This record gives sequence, C-alpha cells and structure tokens, in this order.
Amino acid sequence: MQDYNNIKVNFDHFIQSLKTTTDDLEFRKKSFNHFLQKGYPVTKDENWKYSPLTKDLKKFTKFDFVKNQSDTLPNEVKELYDHYSIVFVDGSLISSDINETGFSIKKNNSFLKSVKKEGDNPILNLNNAFAETGYLIEIEQGYSVSKPIVIYNYFSKNPHSSFFSFKNFILLNEESKALIFEKNIYLSDREYLITSNTEVFLGKNSELKKYNLNYNNKYSTIFNYIKANLDMLASFECFTFSHDINSCRDELIINLNGKDSFASINALQLQHSNFVHEIKLQINHNEEFTKSSQFVKSVLHENSTAVFQGKIFVDSKAQKTDGYQLSRALLLSDNVKFFSKPELEIYADDVKCSHGSSSGSIDNESIFYLRSRGIDEKSAKQLMINGFLAEVIDKISNKQFRDIFINRLGGI
Amino acid sequence: MIEIKNLKASVEDKEILKGLNLSIGKGEVHAIMGPNGSGKSTLSYALSGKEGYHLEGEVIFNKKNLLELNAEERAQQGVFLAFQYPIEIPGVFTNNFLRTSLNSIRKANGQKELNAVEFLKIVKEKSAELKIDPEMLARPLNVGFSGGEKKRNEILQMSLLEPSFVIMDETDSGLDIDALKIVSNGVNTLRSQDRSFLIITHYQRLLNYIKPDFVHVLSDGKIVKTGDWKLALELENDGYGKFVN
Ligand SMILES: Nc1ncnc2c1ncn2[C@@H]1O[C@H](COP(=O)(O)OP(=O)(O)OP(=O)(O)O)[C@@H](O)[C@H]1O
Ligand SMILES: [Mg+2]
Repeated sequence: MQDYNNIKVNFDHFIQSLKTTTDDLEFRKKSFNHFLQKGYPVTKDENWKYSPLTKDLKKFTKFDFVKNQSDTLPNEVKELYDHYSIVFVDGSLISSDINETGFSIKKNNSFLKSVKKEGDNPILNLNNAFAETGYLIEIEQGYSVSKPIVIYNYFSKNPHSSFFSFKNFILLNEESKALIFEKNIYLSDREYLITSNTEVFLGKNSELKKYNLNYNNKYSTIFNYIKANLDMLASFECFTFSHDINSCRDELIINLNGKDSFASINALQLQHSNFVHEIKLQINHNEEFTKSSQFVKSVLHENSTAVFQGKIFVDSKAQKTDGYQLSRALLLSDNVKFFSKPELEIYADDVKCSHGSSSGSIDNESIFYLRSRGIDEKSAKQLMINGFLAEVIDKISNKQFRDIFINRLGGI
Repeated sequence: MIEIKNLKASVEDKEILKGLNLSIGKGEVHAIMGPNGSGKSTLSYALSGKEGYHLEGEVIFNKKNLLELNAEERAQQGVFLAFQYPIEIPGVFTNNFLRTSLNSIRKANGQKELNAVEFLKIVKEKSAELKIDPEMLARPLNVGFSGGEKKRNEILQMSLLEPSFVIMDETDSGLDIDALKIVSNGVNTLRSQDRSFLIITHYQRLLNYIKPDFVHVLSDGKIVKTGDWKLALELENDGYGKFVN
C-alpha cells in the first residue's frame, strides 16, 4: 500500500503558504481529497493498464517545494526565427507578459479562467490541488497572430523542487488564428514529477496549430494533459515529436462540440534504452459533420516500450461524423514492446469511421533495394526509419515547422 | 569482364540455379530469355547480392569473387540491377535517395561527394534525357509511380551511377512504345567499351533497339542455348519448346 501521509503534510504546507481566494482553496482541497480517495493509478484500472506511470509514480512518497535561484534559458535551445516567447525555467515563468493588440500572454496566476471541476483522473486531481505555475494565452476575435508563439519549458540540471504542476489556458476567440510551439527540455538526472494540465477553447471558425517537441527525459515522470473544446468550424491541429522520453503519458481529449469542427492529431515516438512512453487520445464527436484524424508512428529501439490508446467516440446525434485513426510501429529489436489499443464507440448510424494498427520490422526487400544502390546497411536502415517517421511529419500543415521537424529528424 | 562459373542457387531445399556458366566480355551486351520461373530474376539477385540464397560457384568481376561481397560493396564495385519490380519506399524522397546513393558510391571510390547544388544540376540533365518530370523526384521513392515511371526511374539511377556491369530484369515490361524508345536510348548512350550489360527480357522487341551481341536461353536454372541476336527472332516465332523439354 502506498502511504500518502507525507504528501498530505506537503499539501497542508502548500495551501498555507498560498495567497489565494477561498474559492480556489476549496477547489484545491476538494481536488486533493478526490486524489486521496483513489491514490495513484494502478494497472488494474483499464485506463492506466499499460501506463508507465503506474510503476513510476510510486517513487513519489513526498514532494519538496524549493524555489530555485532562477536559472536562465541556454542559448542553444532558443529558436532562431522571429517568434513570441514564453519561458519557463524549472517551472517558473521568467519571461514578461506580452500584451499586443489582438492578443495577450500572461502568467496564469489565479487560474481564474480554468474550469473548476474535479474529475476521475487521479493525476489531474493532484495537478489541480498543487498547480502553481502556467501560462494564459488569449487571442481576440478575428485576430491572427503573425509569428509563432514558442513556449520554452526548460528544466535545468538541478531543479530543487521535486514536483511541478502546470496549469495552462489557451483561448482562441471567434475567427482567430495562432500557432504555438511548445519545447520541453529535460536535463536533470534527478527524479521529479511534472504534471501539466492545459485547457484549450477554440471559438467559432478559429484555428490553432500546436506543435510539441519533447526530448531526452531520462529520470523524471511526466503527465501531460490537454483538453480541447471546439466550436463550429474550429480546427485544431496537433503534432507531438517525442524523442527518448521516459516515463511519460501524453493524454489528449478533444471535444468536437460544434458542427464542422475538425481535429488532426499526429504524433511520433522515437525511443531507445528502456524508455516507456504512452500516448492516450480520445476524440469525442459530439455534433454532426465533425471530422477527426489520428496518426501515430512509433520507432522502438533497444528495450523501449510505446503505448498508444486511441479512442473515437461518436454521440448519437453526431451523424455524418468522419473519424480516422492509424497507428504504425517499427520494432527494431526483439526486446521492444508496443501496445496498441484502438477503440471505437459509436452511437450514430450514418458515420464513416476507420482505424488500423500495425507493427513490424523494417522491410528486407526495401533494405536490399537501397543497399543495391551502394548505400551501406546501417545508412539504409536509417533512411527507412526516417522515411517512416517523415510520413507523420508530412501531416504538419505549416511548411516552416514541417522543415524544422524534418531537420530535427535528420540530425538524430 | 564477368565470369560466372558453375553458379548454383537454392532457397531452402529448392534448387533454382543449377550450375550456370556465362562470360560477358567488356563492352558486350548479352540478352537472357527464358520461360517464367526458369530462374532469371534469381540470377539477377544472386549477382547483385540479395541475401537468403544458398549459393555455390564463383562470379569473378574486377578480379574479385562477387559472391564474397555484400550488396552495397558490389554496387560500389560497379554492379547495378534494374529491378523487375522496383520497390516503393514511403517517406524516402527520391531526390534524397538518389543523392545518398550516388555519394555512397563516390565515397567508396575515393571521389568527392556532391553537394545539393552539384547533384541537382546532374540529376536535372539526366532526368530531362529520360523525359522524367522533376516533380516526380520530389515524391517518395516509387510511391504512386506508374509501372512505366518506375522503370524509367531505374534507368535514371543507372545513368547517374554509371555502373560498369548492368543487369536489367525485364525493364521493358510495362513500358509504352515511346518509353521503350527513351529507355533504349538511355541504355544505348551508356553502351561503351568498358561497360557490360546483361539484359533479361521476354520480348524480342527490346532487342531491336538494344542490339545484343549474344542471346542465351535460360531454362530450369541452366543456360541451354546461346546464339546471336537472330536467336531472339527464332524464339519470338517458335517459342521455347525446342529448348525446353
Ligand atoms: N525466395 C524463394 N522461395 C521459394 N521459391 C523461390 C524463391 N525465389 C524464387 N523462387 C522460385 O524459383 C523459380 C525461379 O524464380 P525467378 O523469379 O528467378 O523466375 P524468372 O525466370 O525470373 O520468372 P519470370 O519470367 O516470371 O520473371 C520460381 O519457380 C520461383 O517460384
Ligand atoms: Mg523474373
């Protein structure tokens, strides 16, 4: 049995030191109690069956909260093109607010805009109880942000806290457009827990492109949660590049609430060592004429594991739904594991839904073809692997970012 | 000069090539014809280094036994196989593949690798000669190419890599009349004193354009008849019956 006594003490200390409203306090307490009722997720729970978190969360029997002397963002992680930036270093927001005509970026201090509802996701409840950092992006009606917004979420070699809880909020009002690139960089060799909870609201006919890069996490345990709600004609394009990410669950829930709303979710996992990465997607088609597409590719080397659980839910009134899901994995050693669980839950009768999942090794005929052209075996394999992954990157609609990710792949 | 001596190839317990002898002199063009399943493609794979066969015998090329080299080493030595069924490779862009291939071979031969600009210039010229739309080269390798486009892409690779021993496995199958002329022209411009060809085909028509020095009949894993280009005409009229029992 997991013992939560230390965490209770941590929570009491935490809320005592917090300067906030009584409403917020109440919500945090409720969330924390909800968390305590279930505790950390276990493999018996169908929703967490293959999750690396069931094993790794056990390590966290207490949390240390110590504010760092703020480190700075190293130059080499900075993007070279013109962009707006939001910078977190070891969980602290260190860049100043941006307030331009048309949009604003602020520290998400009081989480005023967040939906305050505790759910049955235990880690989300934990996040809601302890959240103390995050950003808030709001784009005004009809405004298109002219440059990419880059979120640097940088963890230095030596953060002093062992638990970071982010709570972010993205609001695109009617007819607005934005591109957000989130770069998560983990350098520490200490074990820490990071949870992030991002709510996205996309107003009528708005368009959000959100691209994420996660790389090189060896020791921390990570839970990234995004929930997006789409109004009529809104579109959400999400791409996540995970390279050597251990003990991480990326969970995404999308509610297609308005007619003709559209979500395109694409992800790649490129894993070595004994790293375990999990992707969990759920797309809820709640209204007619909604469309979604999920495309996930995994390349597994050495002893790594990847998990993909993707669900398409179609409400009884969501006729003419178009839902598509495909996951493909390349298994490059006998010791890798790939778990894939596609799910369809459909209550409407006039829908078009398809899903597919496949896994296998590199095609020998293709390797021979490349080698017969003078390309050595190792390079031929690398070409094949990159080609396999490039197919997901190719789904990125923004040319500049497509090139950024293709180059990144080429440099690995 | 290529010297194939008593070449045997088997897969599991099935013997496909049963002691094949053939010498191809420098600058010569040899055609191989033969019924379906007689072992023509297997010969082309055995020569170009595909794994999965149990091989016996020798193939001497540039004073080396090819059978002791792996596929990429053979390509680097100048062996080139134009595939009967070129493979589609999603995600690998044709241009990038072509440059990687050319540079691998240049590097192995101690030549300077080409940068993107230098490469583009060459590939543009060569693809124009073969009437290949440059847009095709921006697409993933062979993916969605028509049958004829795939074959033309093989010939483009051949003219880029400038091999000294070319094996063509039914390159003419699936080509329309104009494409057949274009491909044949491509081959004929490459014909030279120090380049040898082994052309596998079912149709005498190709041999009207690329006139072979010798024609061989392969049947049941062996060469059963050798003649000059007139043998192809004879086969076209009478079939293989005479040579196969
Ligand atoms: N990997 C393999 N395993 C088992 N049998 C094989 C294998 N490869 C070839 N064969 C068999 O060997 C024989 C020769 O095949 P091959 O492809 O070389 O014929 P081919 O002369 O090229 O025929 P075609 O004119 O139809 O192209 C056939 O009977 C074929 O089924
Ligand atoms: Mg054949």
